[in-house]
Amino acid sequence: MALSSLFITLPVPKVPSSNSRRLLTARASSAAAPAASASFDLRRYWTSLIADVESELDAAMPMQPPESIHSAMRYAVLPGAGKEGAAKRAPPVLCVAACELLGGPRAAALPAAAALEMLHAASLVHDDLPCFDAAPTRRGRPSTHAAYGTDMAVLAGDALFPLAYTHVISHTPSPDPVPHAVLLRVLAELARAVGSTGMAAGQFLDLAGATALGEAEVMQVLTKKFGEMAECSAACGAMLGGAGPDEEAALRRYGRTIGVLYELVDDVRSASGNGKMRRNASVLRSLGMDRALGIVEELKAQAKTEADRFGDKYGDRVLPLYSFVDYAVERGFELQGAAATS
Amino acid sequence: MAMAFHFHPLAATRVHLSPLPFAAAAAAGAPSPSSSSVAIAAPHHHHGRRRFSAVVATAAASAAATTEFDFKAYMGERAVAVNRALDAAIPAGEPPAALHDAMRYALLAGGKRVRPALCLAACAVVGGPEAWAMPAAAAVEMVHTMSLVHDDLPCMDDDDLRRGKPTCHVVYGEPIAVLAGDALLSLSFHHMASVGSYPPDVDPEKHPARVVRAIGELARCIGSEGLVAGQVVDLEMTGTSEPVPLERLEYIHLHKTAALLEASVVIGAIIGGGTDEQIERLRKYARSIGLLFQVVDDILDVTKSSEELGKTAGKDLASDKTTYPKLLGLEKSREFAEKLLSDAIEQLDCFDKEKAAPLLHLANYIAHRQN
Repeated sequence: MALSSLFITLPVPKVPSSNSRRLLTARASSAAAPAASASFDLRRYWTSLIADVESELDAAMPMQPPESIHSAMRYAVLPGAGKEGAAKRAPPVLCVAACELLGGPRAAALPAAAALEMLHAASLVHDDLPCFDAAPTRRGRPSTHAAYGTDMAVLAGDALFPLAYTHVISHTPSPDPVPHAVLLRVLAELARAVGSTGMAAGQFLDLAGATALGEAEVMQVLTKKFGEMAECSAACGAMLGGAGPDEEAALRRYGRTIGVLYELVDDVRSASGNGKMRRNASVLRSLGMDRALGIVEELKAQAKTEADRFGDKYGDRVLPLYSFVDYAVERGFELQGAAATS
Repeated sequence: MAMAFHFHPLAATRVHLSPLPFAAAAAAGAPSPSSSSVAIAAPHHHHGRRRFSAVVATAAASAAATTEFDFKAYMGERAVAVNRALDAAIPAGEPPAALHDAMRYALLAGGKRVRPALCLAACAVVGGPEAWAMPAAAAVEMVHTMSLVHDDLPCMDDDDLRRGKPTCHVVYGEPIAVLAGDALLSLSFHHMASVGSYPPDVDPEKHPARVVRAIGELARCIGSEGLVAGQVVDLEMTGTSEPVPLERLEYIHLHKTAALLEASVVIGAIIGGGTDEQIERLRKYARSIGLLFQVVDDILDVTKSSEELGKTAGKDLASDKTTYPKLLGLEKSREFAEKLLSDAIEQLDCFDKEKAAPLLHLANYIAHRQN
């Protein structure tokens, strides 16, 4: 898929002029949620999924010799469900929701969902290294290299990548209902998303200071670093759920859009004091707040359009995808403690 | 696939941490037609039946049996084909250019391509066309390269030179070297999983299941139960003044070196359509030559000059590193190497002589290299 295809098709943006913080707050309260949303509780859906994903991950990484490396891998992937700083597990949620939308069983998507988290964690561990971001903490606790040493952090990342593939292969129900050929496409998709034209490209561009440049470069970094991963999540769910080519393409576009949207809203919230400031809040400096909010609106509309395609055929099963768009923008609830209470 | 995970030979040795790797594998339930002979593989049980030179003579004799085989030409041709496949596998013209440059720098730096050759030869020995295994052969070289790039980093071994050239992080900087390694690892799996990497004549019924199984083998052999496990235990041993016990040394070598050789032959044999028995024999072959590779390395370090080696000789002694000659003495180390070579060659007995010639010569090459 051409890198810029997402943005070329966008409608002319409405440029909001008001203060961002007020705007996001106003939107959250006045958002005209689709009528059917009332019957769907995203928080409950998400919470139950987090519990499934956490136990899948916990079982996938038993403590065994050599203990140091397995301990470091668990540390990187399992930040402590229900505690402060617990992971939201958005990529797995997207993967499972796409599979369930098409009528596929949750069990078909859960191993890939867990693999997405392993791959994501692996790249974060390397991203935090002293030679990169030199981040001493991640999600409110020491980053993996701070806790285990730089050499062990490099190796933990190196071991999490293959573990993701091992886990998908040994736990996905295959050849029934997932044929081997489909499993191969899922493996290729996972590898592509974190490779040199996917997330690694985003990290490279970020490193090269592309966020200090114009809108196209900024959006490219967001697309590569976050859009690709979300596209991969949705695409894997689509394949595992037995999607046809058109459905897969639509879910890919949906996933990519929502990945960028989610991150951009994070940056807007950071810049307006609603969240922790990320290093790359400079995205906002490049785009300007008004333009950033304009893009948020565009992406939101586009994601809903993609989700709408499925409404006629799948009815209420589209609601998780639909609600996810609203959540990405409004962050109407907190997930912290969610897994602990489930 | 279930079979592959059931045998789990690395796990078997890990659990037992035995200096008798194959006896441990046999105890774990692997079919081991040769277990009676391999059970005496450990140096301290050595029977001294044949001297190292005798093995050389045996090897020469069996080489003569396959008269027409030209090992040097074989390796040269495979290296050319593998290099071509590697060159074509890196996304061309796609940004970011500097990241792809760094990947190419590390991957296309030359080298003997022993792992890909093992993979192709294993596919051929079970009767598969070599072309079927080329994506897997390229994948193991990508993984090998990636492990070298990360190994050379300042936070790991901190090496400035590899094969006479500045290491990847010296040329491109540390962050890009980390990313290039990660990207090569991803590329290896992407390349192996993609339908487009394979020739059109693969069996459409059997091929997908074989590739899934092969990817599972590769991932397991290089992860926290394979290659990485060896690196971790090696790291934990460095800096302690205590000599490393023999079983630890063997654990490190079986994981750090043998695991990727094991992956190379096993995935070649799987994709070539080998039977489970053939696959397990080749697995044992690879584990023997993997250990052999390190024993020979240790012997060369104390017996050859820097000029002969093309690198600093006596480095192991100077750095207090535990080696086989240090633990067993030179003579017993040679006897151990001899035993490992004959074990490896024995695994090839059940294969067609002509088709097994490359694997036989690869084992001899590893045993008798002079640098």
